[in-house]
Amino acid sequence: MTEFKVGKYVLRNDLLYTETDEWIKIEEDNATVGITDYAQKKLRDIVGVDLPKKGQKVSSGEVVAVVESVKAAADIYTPLSGEIVEVNENLISSPELINKDPYGNGWLFKIKLSNKEETKKLLTPDMYTERVKGD
Amino acid sequence: MFCTPLVNFEEKLNSSLGEFAGWKMPMSYSSYQEEHLAVRTESAFFDLSHMGRLKIKGKIEEIENLVAKKVADAPQYSMIGPTAFLSDKAGFIDDVMTYKVSESEFLVVTNAINREKVISWIRKNSSLDVEDLTFGLVMIAIQGKKVWDYIEKPNLQPLQFKLNVNFEGQEVFLLSRSGWTGEDGVEFWAKPEAAEVILNKLVSKGVKPAGLMARDSLRQEMGFVLYGEDIGEEVNPVEARYWVYSLEKEFIGKQALVEILKSGVDKLRIGIKLPKNLRVIPRNGTRIKIMGEEIGKVTSSSYSPFLSRVIGMGYVNSRHFLLGGNADVEIRGRDYNIKLSDFPLLK
Repeated sequence: MTEFKVGKYVLRNDLLYTETDEWIKIEEDNATVGITDYAQKKLRDIVGVDLPKKGQKVSSGEVVAVVESVKAAADIYTPLSGEIVEVNENLISSPELINKDPYGNGWLFKIKLSNKEETKKLLTPDMYTERVKGD
Repeated sequence: MFCTPLVNFEEKLNSSLGEFAGWKMPMSYSSYQEEHLAVRTESAFFDLSHMGRLKIKGKIEEIENLVAKKVADAPQYSMIGPTAFLSDKAGFIDDVMTYKVSESEFLVVTNAINREKVISWIRKNSSLDVEDLTFGLVMIAIQGKKVWDYIEKPNLQPLQFKLNVNFEGQEVFLLSRSGWTGEDGVEFWAKPEAAEVILNKLVSKGVKPAGLMARDSLRQEMGFVLYGEDIGEEVNPVEARYWVYSLEKEFIGKQALVEILKSGVDKLRIGIKLPKNLRVIPRNGTRIKIMGEEIGKVTSSSYSPFLSRVIGMGYVNSRHFLLGGNADVEIRGRDYNIKLSDFPLLK
């Protein structure tokens, strides 16, 4: 079982996380990035998304996407450096996928990593549990 | 912070709570989009207990002097509104609904954010007796395209109300045929226990609970203003195109209003529509431009699930009040095309 709950939020133990509530799935030299269940629940109904461009070079910590909820526009930071190799085009017409399936069909973009060492700075599931616990 | 007395009941319905105007209220339940569509196609209810509810008593001349719309000729048990309390400069102190109980007694619904300000303002400008009913009673709206399939239709014309009546098997203090969504329906004020019994019954019949986010997108489709976003003390009713006054009588702010009507205004409220399925939201303060030149600013915006597009409203220079014309909104450094539209945006 990879999925577990912390209060009302779902986390997965096969992912890494950031302080700014992105999740990251590492597969060899590539990383898939999305926002956590905690983040989508805080944002509530997501009605739009601005995605990065395929081929775009990004540096860790840079704002590369924006998620529009009814409440506010939230900046999405790339947790890792590299090149954007794929974006989730389905979100353009169906941004609510982020609410419905944040760890699955609601993924945002994939990066080909230029510096795999950066993954060491990401939060483990235990560390991210501490962040959302009690909220 | 204040909290709706129905919070426990609503949490059982899976409400997502948030802060609005100093109140903890349900923002949404399942999804604001589903709640919005429930109103436009079926039926939904809203908890509006955050809205200020006042009883004012005294001489009708004094009441007349406060309210911008004429109240003296209104039939008993009818609502006069929307109307407004205006400042000496004709800015909005608040936009309100007034309920005529008798020649000397009125009920007033204020915006939550303005309740205390309005009480002070009435006391400063009159010798009327003001009683605050906000905390003893909850206020619920039941609205929808098919609302009468779900609740008993009261013997009331639009904007009529009754006091101390039975509704859905419970005693309620006030029952009115009114709402703020553009659909038919009722609003009632009742003790929390009675309201909970009624709401339980509604839920079992399939009436959907709806939060303040759906209410916000519904009112924007209709072009209804929200105090603090679209109007305030710095805006007058002419600029807002909000015809909440009667010029055949005297009231606070009338002199300024007459001067404004004679001289004209520099800005006017206008609706905006973004192209279908363009999912960016121009927030309050977003610049409206034509050929790079700023002509105004957005005040409210939301995604309308009913129209499948982002809509909203704002103010443009009156020389640029180009209904049906195109302009741009600047969001995160990029320009997006919009259509300048009249209200309601729903048509």
